[in-house]
Amino acid sequence: MDLNKFREMFQGCELAGNKILIKSRMHDVIKFVTENYPYDILKEITAIHNPDGRIELIYNLYSTVDEETLLISILLDGNEAESVSDIFDSARADENEIFDLFGVKFSGNDDLKRLYMPEDWEGHPLRKDYVQDDTRLAWNDDKNNV
Amino acid sequence: MNYLYFLYIEFLQKHNIPQLFGDITFYFIPFCIIAAALLVVVIVLVLVERKFLGFFTQRKGPNRVGWWGLLQTIADALKLLCKENITPDKADKFLFNLAPILVFVPMFAALGVIPYSSEFTFINTSTNVILYLILAAFPVLSIFLAGWASNNKYSLFGAARCIAQVLSYELPMTFVILSVAVLASSLNLTEITLAQTSKYGAFGWFALPCILGFVIMFICMLAELNRCPFDLPEAESELICGYNTEYSGMRFAIFYLSEYAMMFANAMFLAILFLGGYLSPFGKYFFSAGPFVYFEQAFWLFLKAAVLIFIMIWIRAALPRLAIYDLLKFSWVILLPLSIINLFAAVLIKFGGAIWAA
Amino acid sequence: MMTKTTFKLNLGPQHPSTHGVLRLLLELDGEKIISCEPDVGYLHRGMEKMAEQMSYIQYLPTVDRIDYLAGFFYSELLCRIVENAMEVELPDKVRAIRVMLLELNRISSHLLWVGAFLMDLGAVSPFFYAFREREMILRYFEKISGQRMMYNYFVFGGVRHDIGFLEDVEEIISILPGKIDDYEKIITENPIFIRRTVEKGILQKEMALNNGITGVNLRASGVDFDLRFEDSLYRGFDIKTIVLDGKDSFARYKARILEMRESIKIVAQALEYLKKSGSLEQRLINPINLKLPEGDYFADIEAPRGTASCFVRSYGDKNPYRLKWRTGSYYSVNLLRKLLAGEYLNDAIAIAGSLDIILPEVDK
Repeated sequence: MDLNKFREMFQGCELAGNKILIKSRMHDVIKFVTENYPYDILKEITAIHNPDGRIELIYNLYSTVDEETLLISILLDGNEAESVSDIFDSARADENEIFDLFGVKFSGNDDLKRLYMPEDWEGHPLRKDYVQDDTRLAWNDDKNNV
Repeated sequence: MNYLYFLYIEFLQKHNIPQLFGDITFYFIPFCIIAAALLVVVIVLVLVERKFLGFFTQRKGPNRVGWWGLLQTIADALKLLCKENITPDKADKFLFNLAPILVFVPMFAALGVIPYSSEFTFINTSTNVILYLILAAFPVLSIFLAGWASNNKYSLFGAARCIAQVLSYELPMTFVILSVAVLASSLNLTEITLAQTSKYGAFGWFALPCILGFVIMFICMLAELNRCPFDLPEAESELICGYNTEYSGMRFAIFYLSEYAMMFANAMFLAILFLGGYLSPFGKYFFSAGPFVYFEQAFWLFLKAAVLIFIMIWIRAALPRLAIYDLLKFSWVILLPLSIINLFAAVLIKFGGAIWAA
Repeated sequence: MMTKTTFKLNLGPQHPSTHGVLRLLLELDGEKIISCEPDVGYLHRGMEKMAEQMSYIQYLPTVDRIDYLAGFFYSELLCRIVENAMEVELPDKVRAIRVMLLELNRISSHLLWVGAFLMDLGAVSPFFYAFREREMILRYFEKISGQRMMYNYFVFGGVRHDIGFLEDVEEIISILPGKIDDYEKIITENPIFIRRTVEKGILQKEMALNNGITGVNLRASGVDFDLRFEDSLYRGFDIKTIVLDGKDSFARYKARILEMRESIKIVAQALEYLKKSGSLEQRLINPINLKLPEGDYFADIEAPRGTASCFVRSYGDKNPYRLKWRTGSYYSVNLLRKLLAGEYLNDAIAIAGSLDIILPEVDK
């Protein structure tokens, strides 16, 4: 795809490897891409907690028409990101998973909830700063007595 | 009945017991016979169904307990007997315990209505078809009771489905029975049986003039028995176990066994209405007189019922379940008009000649 | 005055037809579903977290468990990641072995689905028939790998040992088409089955794409999307993809039946090659101290339940820095929220069954 046009619209995006790295405005980028190019599936959103402490999101877009993959990546500054669930419904599921495992809050996605972890679980296990504390897994009769 | 009665009175008189005692106690005998026979029949039926389902699905079926798995059902019943009866905390305990009893009692009575042979009809009234219909529909009430009292949403679903289903299938069934009543000019099961007598044996059966009615009745019976493909009230993949989800131990066993007893009773009822009841399909009996002929008559009735039950098992192995709205639509849109047509056909067959002559 | 009241029904996690431990929180009006909220996570084993603490060879046996009905696909994905990273080209014989096993695995998975789907619809017999045929395939897998479901047969750079018992495969592919004909006779033409599947659970093309549905479910909605065409593993194989335009449960059923038939043809091609080929010559990657070079690696494959993919970021360590699985069922489960609303309870079971959801894949 034509990166120059892309550069004009979204300041500071660059090509890193096989993916486009953008600084911000993920929602607008995805919207722009889906409106102008035939990318119709958001295959997955991958979150990575980088060694520098920032969370990287990789959006894997795919076009069933010309069978092309487009990876768009963003480095988050905090634990806030823009939701793209109004463009792709499947993002709702991915964002929920990322919220559960990385603690990233997606503005615009209302039904974020703990998915795999218990509702009252502290911490997000796939973060690198997560402390694995096995004592929490021990069966506590007082707490679990239903 | 008279035959058995005289045997009994004769036996009492030999031992110098007054006849009044015999008159009073006589009516307990049939129920003892029914109760004993019923247990055997149900135990065999459960085994046969499991065995045949096994064969249909290329399995062996139960084959561990006893020779050929013959004792499997008894083992299962014993296991259920030993299990704890659990009553849910929030259930309506009185109704919850009442429901299994209410499902069993009318079933016993329904079996008493059936003429097993020309002499063995324990309850013989002039309109025992109606009596049978009432008794056969009674378990539905107890199913609803069970579903309601369980305080379980799945049970309630099963109960509600059962009511809807039986209500809509009772109507075409009644019309079909009416057409049989017209053909036989009677509402008595023995008289209906005898009306099918012919020297050509099976050609006198009402299944021939009323083949449409026979098929409708068979379908309605499947629906009333909650058998596949109408097993919605206990649809395993949807409602877990339907109305008996919360039942355990002997109470569950009663529901389970009564289902099979009902199946047997209904198969016999259908055989009486359309397949000549205890009449031999060859026009004459192998035994000419004596008590053996009664046994032969009962044998023919059981054989006819067994064939119908085999078809029911076959259908269960072959068909998926209907959707609830299709089920209701099928009854009201297809079966009901057809059964009315069947009634008119029966009237024409019976009185066509007379109308033509007039 | 009548007031309309609704009530909540907890379908699962211990329900006979949720294929594992799916919990659907349904809001019902009578038997009509107003809203559906899937709740997953009852089988979560932390596959992604595990990977971060294990070396690649330690992790390899566990990935079969992501989808216990199609284990080969996930070990193939992990092997492919490592092979791509180490730049190893697979010999043709290894490719043929893998394609044959993958397609057999796809057939066995679809067979189980046919049985389970019909079970959801209330028919008992097809379940046993399908299991009978699946058993042949599982026996073969057991013969070559020692395991019926968790194979651990693919290793980095090849397969664990040379393939054998090819006559078994020959028997399977000679018997199966006839058996599938039998299924079609008792299922496809059954009026009750048709009533319960045709026009039920319609999944429009746009809705499917928007919800990330892939695989057979997407192809039954009329989208020609099959990763096997661009897959280097399937290079040289004659593949035909099944695209149906029915969009309903029946189309999804039909697509799977037809796909089984196509898979049999692919297996036959691989078998033909393997019968002619000589002994196995492969260059395995030494798994001891295996370190992937720094970078992102991505592999995807057409699994029986949709696109499965694996993403690995490595910083040159023994273990991946981050490993992410994408599984088809996860998106199918989330689709239920939209697909089930407005359906009757017994249709809902059939529709959910037709999507071929398997819970270990959802929970990972």
